[in-house]
Amino acid sequence: MTGGINPTLHTGALAALEAAINRALALAPGANDSLKALRDKVFALHCTAPPLDVYLQPVAEGVRLMGVYDGPVTTSLRGEASEFAALASAEDPAAALINGKLELAGDSGPLLELQRIIAGLDVDWEAPLVDALGDVAGHQLAQMLRGGFRWGRQAGSSLLRQAEEFIHEEARLSPPRLELEDFYRDVQELELRVDRLASRLSRLRRRLRDKREQA
Amino acid sequence: MSDKDKTHFGYREVDSDAKAGMVADVFHSVAARYDLMNDLMSAGIHRIWKRFTIELSGVRRGNAVLDIAGGTGDLAAKFADIVGADGRVVLADINASMLQVGRDKLLDHGRHANIEFVQADAQYLPFPDESFDCITIAFGLRNVTDKDLALRSMQRVLKPGGRLLVLEFSKPRNELLSRAYDTYSFRVLPLMGRLVAGDADSYQYLAESIRMHPDQDTLKDMMEDAGFARVEYHNMTGGIVAVHRGVKA
Repeated sequence: MTGGINPTLHTGALAALEAAINRALALAPGANDSLKALRDKVFALHCTAPPLDVYLQPVAEGVRLMGVYDGPVTTSLRGEASEFAALASAEDPAAALINGKLELAGDSGPLLELQRIIAGLDVDWEAPLVDALGDVAGHQLAQMLRGGFRWGRQAGSSLLRQAEEFIHEEARLSPPRLELEDFYRDVQELELRVDRLASRLSRLRRRLRDKREQA
Repeated sequence: MSDKDKTHFGYREVDSDAKAGMVADVFHSVAARYDLMNDLMSAGIHRIWKRFTIELSGVRRGNAVLDIAGGTGDLAAKFADIVGADGRVVLADINASMLQVGRDKLLDHGRHANIEFVQADAQYLPFPDESFDCITIAFGLRNVTDKDLALRSMQRVLKPGGRLLVLEFSKPRNELLSRAYDTYSFRVLPLMGRLVAGDADSYQYLAESIRMHPDQDTLKDMMEDAGFARVEYHNMTGGIVAVHRGVKA
């Protein structure tokens, strides 16, 4: 029901997470409007490692997280925590869903829409800072934080790009994506040819056996 | 007077007819500071217990929900959001002071469209048969004089397939926790009651009434005897609290 975890802990953790998400959604302009289309749909996330069940339902105030839900579910996903994290952060969620190890049941459309909304969240952190510190100090602190985040994001993506280039092109530790896809295609083609050859051989063997029996 | 006419009021044995009045006095006394005391006594954990109860209730949009002994309206407020404009929530309490506090709180928060307030005795619920999809009673059953009569009354007003959720203090499963809990209940609670609510006796009654309440398995049997099917319970916080769920067949 709660995945074997103490219901008090599980429910408490979900309540805290729900409050944090709804606070962030309230600061993201348009987020609740985007979620309106998904209102009352229920997404079941069954995590196998660690064992944990979470049901997510978009509601008027943001989202509702539940540890127990007995009613019909729109989309159900089952897999390990790392696979859920990979889907949540994927640039192409549809591809991540198809190629990943998560088991999906139900309608994938609303789930992809939910992932798109979460990935596109643009939280306005300035509003609570201005409320707490006043217009001038709040705005300046928000500018500094924004600058810091922007630099961090740019530095991160630049480091990632350079590391990728070094691994693929300079050190040749791992093949580039396109090369790998070519290789997989060749392997598939080879597998097909081997299958055809095997069936041809068995056909010839059968014909030889028939001829021997007739003689 | 026969034994049948006696019941418990905390550790004391009193006339059955007198218990409702004595419980009423306790709640008249604590009503104004009830929410604050709940938060202090449980360190806020009562909100998590109630949240889990709401999850187990399976209440949906459009349902009719009866919250008995609803007090200051914690559960009723959440249910009102879930059932929406098409649904109906009845907040019932035998105690006029508690109902008044709950009513004022919910109205102050703008929750009135789908909530009704009814002063009612859980043993004789003033509703037609098969009126509700779900009934909850949180921290109220132990104060009822005749619990079996109350459970049968709830069974009567539930629709077939409807659920009863009983959230109540119960028996801790661990001996060590049980001892720590006893010390807390009989030493800290009355002191807290005296300091915050100016009433140590009511909180002494609270601790005693919890000890006199049936344990998890006894309450499960009582619900089955009252006609509920698929009765199960979930212990929370080591069994200090348990939520029982039964379905009207």
